[in-house]
Amino acid sequence: MTRWWNQLMSRVFARVPRLSESYGRRSGAVEEVPLPPLAGLATLLSAARVGIVTAGGVHLAQDPPFDMQDPEGDGSLRMIPGDAGAGALRITHDYYDHRAADEDVNCVFPIDRLRELVAAREIGAVAPRHVGLMGHLSGTQLERLLNRGAAEIGNVFAMGGVDLVLTVPG
Amino acid sequence: MCHRSVGLVARILEAQGIPTVSLGVVRSMIDGTPAPRNVFVPFRLGQVLGEPGNVAQQQAVLRAALGAVTRVAEPGGLLELPFRWKRGTYPVPVGMAGQPPPRVDA
Repeated sequence: MTRWWNQLMSRVFARVPRLSESYGRRSGAVEEVPLPPLAGLATLLSAARVGIVTAGGVHLAQDPPFDMQDPEGDGSLRMIPGDAGAGALRITHDYYDHRAADEDVNCVFPIDRLRELVAAREIGAVAPRHVGLMGHLSGTQLERLLNRGAAEIGNVFAMGGVDLVLTVPG
Repeated sequence: MCHRSVGLVARILEAQGIPTVSLGVVRSMIDGTPAPRNVFVPFRLGQVLGEPGNVAQQQAVLRAALGAVTRVAEPGGLLELPFRWKRGTYPVPVGMAGQPPPRVDA
């Protein structure tokens, strides 16, 4: 499948939510990773340090883009510094319509909105590092993310003293 | 598929003791492979937080999503946000440059 076709279909799916819902039903469930008990927030939300995992293909412009040639996707990670400006970021992802997020990355990576909630003292702090993924994964690339990447993400947030993680799809 | 990938990552983080909240816009994806705490907002793929440049809308979604950390009580639980695409009304944005800091009650 060519890239232009994937990009075209992503625009169709964005405009017709029923297609996405139907696709989701056909995708079925993944049972390999069990649903764990909930971890409690160790502090008040107003004091919590918050990190983001976005599956919207967000990465630093200077970092390698996600691989759009492998039909199973790209299960690698991109670290995004907490003080990165929107102008330093790019989106590489052919499987959702990211024209709005190209205009305002907060649509899928709400970094400016987090900073504003910190300024308003609604949350404590922004994590020193966030994580960008390309979320459209299957097969070996999904295994790569789950078997290796997720542990690395956990370490990044643990080292950063993160109290709460927000995940956002593309 | 994006929902599933980040939802599974959220499961692994939660199992490591890091609380998570997971935004989503495709209900069937959430239902098929739920994250530990799910927050559904009836917006579009690619505009999960809202429209580009709509600070009030994006802040409202983010605030509600983060608040789900204490509102979702069971693993795999779902919070549906009451917002409507392009027809919602949202609080005045906070924390913008040039605004005075919020008053803190003793």
